[in-house]
Amino acid sequence: MNIAQRGRMKAVTSTILKDKFSWFLLPWIISGSSFVVNLITAYFAKEDITTGGVASLYIYMLAAGIMSVSSTLPFLLGFSVRRSDYFWGTGGAIGLVGAICAAGLTLLSYVESEWTEGWGIGLYFFHLPFVSEGSAPVQFLIYFLLIVFLFYLGFLIACVAKRFGKNGMFILSIAILAIGTVWSYVMTQQGWWIDLGHWLTDRTMLELAGGTAPLTLLCMAISYALLRRTSV
Amino acid sequence: MSAIVKVTNLTKTYGGTAAVQGVSFELEENKIYGLLGRNGAGKTTIMHMLTAQQFASSGDIAVFGEAPFENESVLSRLCFIKESQKYPPMFTVKDVLEVSAMLHPNWDAAYAADLAGAFGLPMKRKVQKLSRGMLSAVGVVVGLASRAPLTIFDEPYLGLDAVARSIFYDRLLEDYAEHPRTVILSTHLIDEVSRLLEHVLLIDQGKLLLDQDVERLSGMAYSVVGSAAKLDAFVAGKKVLARETMGAIASATVMGEAGAQVRREAAERGLEFAPVSLQQLIVHLTGGKLGEKEAISS
Repeated sequence: MNIAQRGRMKAVTSTILKDKFSWFLLPWIISGSSFVVNLITAYFAKEDITTGGVASLYIYMLAAGIMSVSSTLPFLLGFSVRRSDYFWGTGGAIGLVGAICAAGLTLLSYVESEWTEGWGIGLYFFHLPFVSEGSAPVQFLIYFLLIVFLFYLGFLIACVAKRFGKNGMFILSIAILAIGTVWSYVMTQQGWWIDLGHWLTDRTMLELAGGTAPLTLLCMAISYALLRRTSV
Repeated sequence: MSAIVKVTNLTKTYGGTAAVQGVSFELEENKIYGLLGRNGAGKTTIMHMLTAQQFASSGDIAVFGEAPFENESVLSRLCFIKESQKYPPMFTVKDVLEVSAMLHPNWDAAYAADLAGAFGLPMKRKVQKLSRGMLSAVGVVVGLASRAPLTIFDEPYLGLDAVARSIFYDRLLEDYAEHPRTVILSTHLIDEVSRLLEHVLLIDQGKLLLDQDVERLSGMAYSVVGSAAKLDAFVAGKKVLARETMGAIASATVMGEAGAQVRREAAERGLEFAPVSLQQLIVHLTGGKLGEKEAISS
């Protein structure tokens, strides 16, 4: 990779990250408002509260993956950026955002569990049983992998929409729904749900988060193939 | 002269209908080309394919001798300013110029700032909040300041008033003289840009009708002005493209070369020669009366 090429990927990354509000503030505003609501609840509650409100940050990343494509791809392709540079430049942006978010979540998890013991009022929002087990690097990795996975899932959805339009999305949704229904029926028939439940509970969170890595790579590979055939 | 664009038998079909049909042409380095034609003629589609933003159904495209698709060395040397260009929702004018600077190796930031001033562009305003004219001005600034070896403007002046348009034309000519490059101007306002153009490509219903030097094109017809009666006598038996009368004075655009004999004949009748309008000529050429490319490029 030569310098000029890296420069164009950097241009993509910086185009995406120019929207500082959406990438660096909004994830925290969304999970923060959920946190505040829980904080108030916990203040009045008699027992400790453990809540999954931080999931809002992950869901936001899924939405961000979807929105990122529509807000930057037409602009950058129009400005003579290669599709591959767009792809890897986006990777740079989400790598950075994912690392910042994961570091923030890890820090908050420690503040909550070790330093303040549930913010002094028994609220467990960032440090969750099962999810937040392990050392700081392990927690960081778990959060990072989940964020990146959800982003690329959204990215893939947006690439399908971009490549095949509304009808493509419609057909894909029906196909997924149909396959899901049939598969779920088969699982029920064979009694596999219980096996799946056992299997899941036997895994550590790190194993589960690590399991998203191949899925993330799959989403990336399919997105890339779709981007290559996308026109503006 | 070396060809920097070579298009061979380019065709693009959308669900059975051909937007571009078997178009072939070459563009030479450091010339200003006019890609002319009516709305929907296929101009924009051709430019999208040249810049690898859309895919050709068949045919070949070589830009700087290579296929443009995913080609770093080609794409970094082109700048395509299109009317339908999208910008990220949060982008300000300043953001657009900053990203352009990263994408165009020849970018001149001082020149861009100067141009933005000339068009009165508010640097901190969001691009999506700009008026149509201001939006066009952003494109014009990027296109000129990119100094890209191949710069393409697709209807760059929508919403620009006459003053702003003439700033664009003047700045383009000035900068082109100092930093020669190949420019394609796609437009249907032919008369306005005719003084800029060196070569004309005329597209009609997806086909290339005309591929001709402007100088030769202007030589294909002439205009005469004088008293109506004398003019009528003069043009009798000649092919008249257009005729206008203002009181006793009339003017006519006549197909054919203004040779010595024609000039003498006109002078004897007290008629004066005037430059022919490219627009009139092209309207006539696309009118179907002389519609075949072969008939006029021989």
